[in-house]
Amino acid sequence: MTATPRRRWSRAALARRTGLVAAVGLLAAGCAQNAPQDTWDPAGENAQKIHDLQWPVFTVAGIVGVIVLSVVGFAIWKFRDRGQPIPEQTHGKPKLEIALTILPALILIGVAIPTVGTLMALNETDDTECIVNVTGQQWWWEFDYPVQDGCGGIDEPIITSGQMVIPADTNVLIRGTSRDVIHSFWIPRLNGKRDMVPGRVHTLRMQANEPGIYAGQCAEFCGLSHANMRMEVAALNDADFEAWKANQLEDYESPAEGTLAAEGEQTFITNCARCHQVDGLRDSDGQLVVSRPDNQVFSGAAPNLTNLMTRNTFAGATWDLITQERRDQVWEADPDEFGDLYLAGVEDEWFNEVDLREWLRNSPAKKPMYADPTRLEETDGLVRGMPYLALSEAQIDQLLAYLLERK
Amino acid sequence: MAIIERPTDTAPAVYEPPPVTATSSYGYLRRPVETTGWRSWAFTVDHKKIGIMYGVTAMFFFIVGGLEAGLIRWQLAGPDGTILSADKYNQMFTMHATTMVFLFVMPMAAAFANYMIPLQIGARDVAFPRLNALSFWVFLFGGIFLNTSWILGGGADGGWFMYAPNSDTPFSPSNGVDFWALGLQITGIASLVGAVNLIVTCLNMRAPGMSLMRMPIFTWMAMVVQFLLLFAMPVITVALFLLIFQRNYDATFFSVAEGADPLLWQHLFWIFGHPEVYIIVLPSFGIISEVLPVFSKKPLFGYPFVVFSGAAIGFVGWGVWAHHMFASGLGPVSVAVFSVATMAIAVPTGVKIINWTLTMWGGKLAFTTAMLFAVGLIVQFTLGGLSGVTHSVAPSDTQQTDTYYIVAHFHYVIFGGAVLGLFAGMYYWWPKVFGKALSEKWGKWNFWWMIVGMNLTFGPMHIIGLQGQPRRMYVWTEARAGEGFFNLGFWNLVASIGTVVLAIGVLFWMINVWVTHRPGSKIPPAPLDPWDARSLEWMTTSPPKPHNFDRTPTVHALDEVFHRKYEDVGEGDQHDYVQRATLEEIVAEEERNADAHIHLPAPSYWPIVLAFSLPIIAYGVIYTSWLIAAGAAIAIAAMFGWALEPADAEETDFDPPAEPGESTSKELANV
Repeated sequence: MTATPRRRWSRAALARRTGLVAAVGLLAAGCAQNAPQDTWDPAGENAQKIHDLQWPVFTVAGIVGVIVLSVVGFAIWKFRDRGQPIPEQTHGKPKLEIALTILPALILIGVAIPTVGTLMALNETDDTECIVNVTGQQWWWEFDYPVQDGCGGIDEPIITSGQMVIPADTNVLIRGTSRDVIHSFWIPRLNGKRDMVPGRVHTLRMQANEPGIYAGQCAEFCGLSHANMRMEVAALNDADFEAWKANQLEDYESPAEGTLAAEGEQTFITNCARCHQVDGLRDSDGQLVVSRPDNQVFSGAAPNLTNLMTRNTFAGATWDLITQERRDQVWEADPDEFGDLYLAGVEDEWFNEVDLREWLRNSPAKKPMYADPTRLEETDGLVRGMPYLALSEAQIDQLLAYLLERK
Repeated sequence: MAIIERPTDTAPAVYEPPPVTATSSYGYLRRPVETTGWRSWAFTVDHKKIGIMYGVTAMFFFIVGGLEAGLIRWQLAGPDGTILSADKYNQMFTMHATTMVFLFVMPMAAAFANYMIPLQIGARDVAFPRLNALSFWVFLFGGIFLNTSWILGGGADGGWFMYAPNSDTPFSPSNGVDFWALGLQITGIASLVGAVNLIVTCLNMRAPGMSLMRMPIFTWMAMVVQFLLLFAMPVITVALFLLIFQRNYDATFFSVAEGADPLLWQHLFWIFGHPEVYIIVLPSFGIISEVLPVFSKKPLFGYPFVVFSGAAIGFVGWGVWAHHMFASGLGPVSVAVFSVATMAIAVPTGVKIINWTLTMWGGKLAFTTAMLFAVGLIVQFTLGGLSGVTHSVAPSDTQQTDTYYIVAHFHYVIFGGAVLGLFAGMYYWWPKVFGKALSEKWGKWNFWWMIVGMNLTFGPMHIIGLQGQPRRMYVWTEARAGEGFFNLGFWNLVASIGTVVLAIGVLFWMINVWVTHRPGSKIPPAPLDPWDARSLEWMTTSPPKPHNFDRTPTVHALDEVFHRKYEDVGEGDQHDYVQRATLEEIVAEEERNADAHIHLPAPSYWPIVLAFSLPIIAYGVIYTSWLIAAGAAIAIAAMFGWALEPADAEETDFDPPAEPGESTSKELANV
């Protein structure tokens, strides 16, 4: 080996590898085309607090890295064997070493103090203006809005799933738990993650500066379909949030007689309503249909479908209910246009029925869920996730027509 | 007893069979004193043979774990991968981590510790040779048991951290988690037994003159690791027992419905799991602390600082476990405490990097393959350490934890820290262990492809992680990939390509071993002192004789061998080192003054028999209680056999001296 490639390597190491972390940060912060879960692109004050802490730390770490590796690189170049005599057999210089021990300690003290400060600020709950309960289960998130004076006043509980709707520029406090295994709630642009543990209630602050939609993903490995457990937060301005609340609590309307959707209502009652609640749905005897997912599903819950088409995604926010084109419009909307686009929900003209149809045809094939009926002895016969229902194409057509009206 | 008798004045008397005594009437259970053939390996208690077997097995599992990693990266090379099902993917990442941590890095470190500690401290073997054999066989059978899950319903699928309650039977109905828990329980026994053995060896069996502060640095770091193992393994043992009883005997330790708190598992796992990180890296720190001085022609800079920082890491390492749980809802005060403690442990770690750099400073650096791997460790581990500091900052860790950023971090630490060090150790000690050096030409190919491969594989994961891609997802989607320079698609592909480069690097290592050792290889034996080495393990033949040293050395200094070879003839502050002797001369001198009587421990059947009983018991836990009884019977028989076995082999265990023309490998060694 000659000296040249080795020298190049050591400098390349400085430029590429050690600078990587800092470069990622600096560039990521200014780049609008990044992934929707970019952790360096805060959109709310909690994520901003984290960001204000992390970018200086990354920068300091990058500088320290450059210095250390420069010294290593210099030593490699300077002291390579050029036939020099055997060097002095020195066993060290204690003063130098003590100094070089104290120096990193001082840097770390400088990091520790703001860390603890930010940590405490992020756990503040006194300024809460709105409470949302979040419950994780395999493999979707349920959001319920308890009766409260916050959130502009909620008189009747609202239950939804997949997409959490919050008022923008409002301090929302999430109270979260899980119905089965540990999940982790994470909307990177709004805050860090918090595990949702069965038997415990954990809180997490959430605040979005502007209306918009923010992507998230379950971050704690939660079994087979962990990759298919996503969630989104839609932040609306106050007026739009009021409209959303009112819409969620509207009374149930049966489909018009004789329509495909009306047939779908019966199909729904027969095939879906044991697990999926549609508030206000009545069977042919006029009895309220109350779902009992706890008799069917191991986690004891299934998404409430009363207002399915006010959401843009389904099945753990994994597939879209709207077309790609519409999705792009919603996700790239200006803050003042976002509310209208979101509140329009799913309309026939931008309804993406492909994924929902595949889902109804065979959901375990689309999303792995251990719904294998031969392996249920460990769960006392309860399925996990949605089982294969053997619906006919005609039934699926009916259900699609029925579900499209659930908004 | 393999007593080695030195030449005596009188010719050996005519052979008379020794009288049969009570302790020598074992019949077929005569001690397996063969010195050649498979028996000489299966029943050996020689720390060198055990070390080699540890190394071979560990490298085998390295390849297994690497193939698992390859499948993972193949699946993730593009969006919506279809190479693996969700179920197989989950098994793959669980077993990749488990294999690499428990079946590769730990046993590979055990290989070096086993082989090198007695040589480095001037001992003839470890303190408890039969226990040493037991450690290896228990590890081997545990590793095989763990991997039989692949053909018995699938591997464990809960992640190597195996968080409750996802590890419970309703969520993981196959037997994979049972194999995992029982398999780790078995390999844990190997680690515990080995730890006790090596601690006693280090503390009690050092050569005359070798005070603790003259102990070679690798032995020091290995000893710290054994203490960590001694205290960490019981914690995971408890946790695994809870899990085994939860899954197999209807216990409710992690059943939320019964009032249990699943965070109990996390605490137990990480109280073990964080010291485990240091168990993994400290041996490699020790290795490169040997390699760097040799190829810098300077003593390790600040030897006491390296020793004490290693010990400090050993202590502080116990107070940082909850940094794996910053997002788990511990509460801000606990998080603050663990956050600051984690920053504190960066200090002794930084001290090591400073000392390695200053070891090279002012030296006379020779860039052999071993040295390249050692310098590679400094560079890569520094990067891993710095990214580690970024997530000791708890609030920013809540963004980074469970993303690929963490995957990037710990691969820089474990691959960059531990694995590169192990390769440095292999290239450095290969001529000592096998008498032949690995090829430097292939070694450089090996190094450069591995280093480029690892940076291509794990470097992009920093980006992927900061762009919000969580770990342990069997697919990633275009919808969350972004478009710009940092889009997930490109960097996932780069990482997957990097895996291929890395794999080719490892392939070059295999080629290197083949080229060196293939039948008919023309590579000559290595000289006794290929690197101008400094520590005691070089002051004997390569490979060392069964009894290691002809004469128990007396130690006068740290870097004893250097000071026997060189003399400082400079005056005052001027140093001028003149070589007074070569290692060949020193070893020849030792041979001339060989000790008259050398006692070596005798081989034994019982370690392998006792080890064999453990997987049988484990299969019994999973399938049928009868196997538990059968395994227990073997275990009890083996323990009795072991306990009643005489300390030394009787003379009757050996064959009579061979007639001319006959041969035996059980002859009492006569020189």
